[in-house]
Amino acid sequence: MGVIRQGLRAIFDGPLARVRPTPLALASLALASAVLGGCGGGGEGVQAGVGTSASGPAAAGGAALSATAALGELIFHDVSLSASGRQACSTCHAAENGHAGANSLPAQLGGADLDLQGARAVPGIRYLASNLAFRIAADGTPTGGFFWDGRAVSLADQARGPLLNPVEMANASVADVVARLSRAAYAEQFKTVFGSDIFSRPDDALARLALALQQYQLEDADFRPFSSKYDAFLRGRAALTATEQRGLALFNAPAKGNCAACHPSARAADGSLPLFTDFSYDNLGVPRNGALAQNADPAYFDLGLCARPAGDLARRTDLCGAFKVPSLRNVALRKAYFHNGRFPSLKEALTFYVQRDTSPEKWYPLRADGTLDLFNDLPPAWRGNVNRSEVPYNRQRGDAPALSDAEIDELIAFLATLSDGFTP
Amino acid sequence: MSRPLPLLLFLETALIQPCIPPQPRLRPHRLAAAVSLALLGPLTTAHAQTASEAELMRRLDSLAAEVGQLKAQLGVMQQQRDAAAAAASTPPVPAPAAAPPLAAAPATPATVLTSYGEINYTRPQRSSQNAQADLRRFVLGYQHRLDDKTKIVTELEVEHSVTSASDPGEVAVEQAYVEHQITPTWAVRGGLFLMPMGLLNENHEPAAFFGVERNFVETAIIPSTWREGGVQMVGQFDNGLTLQAGVSTGFDLTKWDATSTGGAESPLGSIHQELALAKARDLALFGALNWRGVPGLQIGGGVFSGGATHGQALASARITLWDVHARWTPGKWDLSALLSRGNISNSAALNAPLVGSATLIPKTFDGGYVQAGYHLWQQGSYALTPFLRWERFNTASSYADLGPGLTPPVRPAERVLSVGANFQLTPGVVVKADWQRFSQNRDADRSSLGLGWSF
Repeated sequence: MGVIRQGLRAIFDGPLARVRPTPLALASLALASAVLGGCGGGGEGVQAGVGTSASGPAAAGGAALSATAALGELIFHDVSLSASGRQACSTCHAAENGHAGANSLPAQLGGADLDLQGARAVPGIRYLASNLAFRIAADGTPTGGFFWDGRAVSLADQARGPLLNPVEMANASVADVVARLSRAAYAEQFKTVFGSDIFSRPDDALARLALALQQYQLEDADFRPFSSKYDAFLRGRAALTATEQRGLALFNAPAKGNCAACHPSARAADGSLPLFTDFSYDNLGVPRNGALAQNADPAYFDLGLCARPAGDLARRTDLCGAFKVPSLRNVALRKAYFHNGRFPSLKEALTFYVQRDTSPEKWYPLRADGTLDLFNDLPPAWRGNVNRSEVPYNRQRGDAPALSDAEIDELIAFLATLSDGFTP
Repeated sequence: MSRPLPLLLFLETALIQPCIPPQPRLRPHRLAAAVSLALLGPLTTAHAQTASEAELMRRLDSLAAEVGQLKAQLGVMQQQRDAAAAAASTPPVPAPAAAPPLAAAPATPATVLTSYGEINYTRPQRSSQNAQADLRRFVLGYQHRLDDKTKIVTELEVEHSVTSASDPGEVAVEQAYVEHQITPTWAVRGGLFLMPMGLLNENHEPAAFFGVERNFVETAIIPSTWREGGVQMVGQFDNGLTLQAGVSTGFDLTKWDATSTGGAESPLGSIHQELALAKARDLALFGALNWRGVPGLQIGGGVFSGGATHGQALASARITLWDVHARWTPGKWDLSALLSRGNISNSAALNAPLVGSATLIPKTFDGGYVQAGYHLWQQGSYALTPFLRWERFNTASSYADLGPGLTPPVRPAERVLSVGANFQLTPGVVVKADWQRFSQNRDADRSSLGLGWSF
């Protein structure tokens, strides 16, 4: 099975996302879906920079989508697949916000009546084609995976989640999803691609639905346009302003922002454009967000990696409180920051980064006894997991923060150059 | 490896091809050079002497009488040199009576095994917890002569003992080239070869240099062991001049990692390609000239220049490196000096996306050293040679202007004083000890012990 999986992964990871798939490849994909129920998350080859010149983004730009991906696009925008009838993938993953949340809610509302609050902020889903399944890297670093806790092994695996999540699209069962799918305007198209009897096999039908969503995200250049001002700068087609250039320096400087330590900003040795994430995890001690209903229970804590539903990392209590390092591409378009959506603006998020340790009273409440309830979104036992060693967190209360207010503004000016859609 | 094979080889080399180009790191060739010196005096090329070569000279003196009877034959052979096509039928060299093992050797060997190794112990003075013992490198190689004009030279190196996915070691082919003697003066060499730059790069066996570790200038500025793939002409003239020139692969600036300190330790060492799927759109030209016209003296220099971005970066950049060096071994002294400087063009454009990062691409880097060794004591095969070396180097002596606040400050030059001694157990085996003091990074002050061998 491992060999088969590898072979199929090679099919998924290959040039499919960049070049219009051949019928044979499509058949292979269908086979992959049938065997595995969706597999692979896109590999190195599908990332725009790999193997492409500096002259343009991914080859998929402008190319027609495959039949599977075209179905995926329809599904992506189809509100009829939700229990409410008013929520599609694109509702929460808005293209105009870099395929992240369109509003500043810390978590979106879902369920049959769109009145149930989700647990975490909507992550952006661009530039994920080269992300792989979760693994502990050779040096011990948790890496990869999809969702804030990396529990999904692929884009397809991730795509299934919201359909069945009771606080999101809220389908009661796989059969429920497939029943709605069978009534969709594109149901016949779905049967043409996946077989006329596909709806009689709900598990297979859902696997193909997820596969179609994955294929859409892999093929459509909208999910990896590499069209930001910074990309133009790296291609020599635009110049950064002096402020943006200073912001980039602060971003890179190990003693200042040190942002590039987790959000690499330079082209890789193979020439690929930077993704501004190393796909790792970190524990930032983000303050508890009272705007999340789940936090009304003082005994509830969202522990991230160590509390994944599968329980596979339950023994790794050192990972309690760790969440995925997201790409910073389109970060300025986001409306809610960090896994719990605690901050609605980039200015606040960055100020938290540099003043968390120098002015903790700004971020954490006082206990009844007057002491500071530091890292209050973690149980006391796991607060020692919070990253306090790296710049800019390696400071003490009262120290000067790593970045001044003016420098934060310069950094924001640079981060704004990471928004897709720049026109020179 | 038993001694007869190299000995036979040097006899063959000396008798048949006194003008063979330099074959650094191969003991047989140093022997050949020594024999040439002994037999032909100032008219022939002479390598600068090391401690081991001095010992060899002494031992060779004892052979001189026996070799004397070969002189007549040598004259004949030299006359035949221009008609070397028929040299394959050269009669076997008569075995000197004083070397019984040779008598058993039926013919000059076509294949010679070579090897060298280094085991080092380093102890930082101020942080003894970082003391380290390491099999720095273990190298096996062969030279195989296909005919009297053509040979293959290879070396395979293992660094740090164990190489696997979870171990720190590294396996590398350091040399793999074919050399063909076109005329008595000129040879052509093609493949993966050591670049002719500095004193150490082509000649870096542990017995060939002072100190447990190789000097900083010839690791941080000249990235020894520096090899490239390419073709070069090697000309060795009767007046003692050796000229090398060729075209080769070069460096890869697109893999410059601004977040690591590798580029600060050795700008070129961090971007060398070692002919491992080397990017090769941009090739480099190089040349070196060395004069050994006076016994015990070597004066020379080298230059390398080549593109390093291979059409894969926003701006094209060229890397140029040059050095001048001299070595003089009057009497018991072994004196040497070297100066080297490199520069990278267009670094401002390449640095623009990297601003603020820990290690930007420097515009220039340079260094130099002076070194003195003294053959203090010798008894039998034992020899003790204390040495003193002072070096100064800067891996980022200037940066191209990136604008106020963005151009990194020039790094201060490091100065290192090294004091120590090489103890020769027998030619080819050396025990070393030294102490090094750093002017900038005082935490790096260290003492080291080393064991090395080569044959």
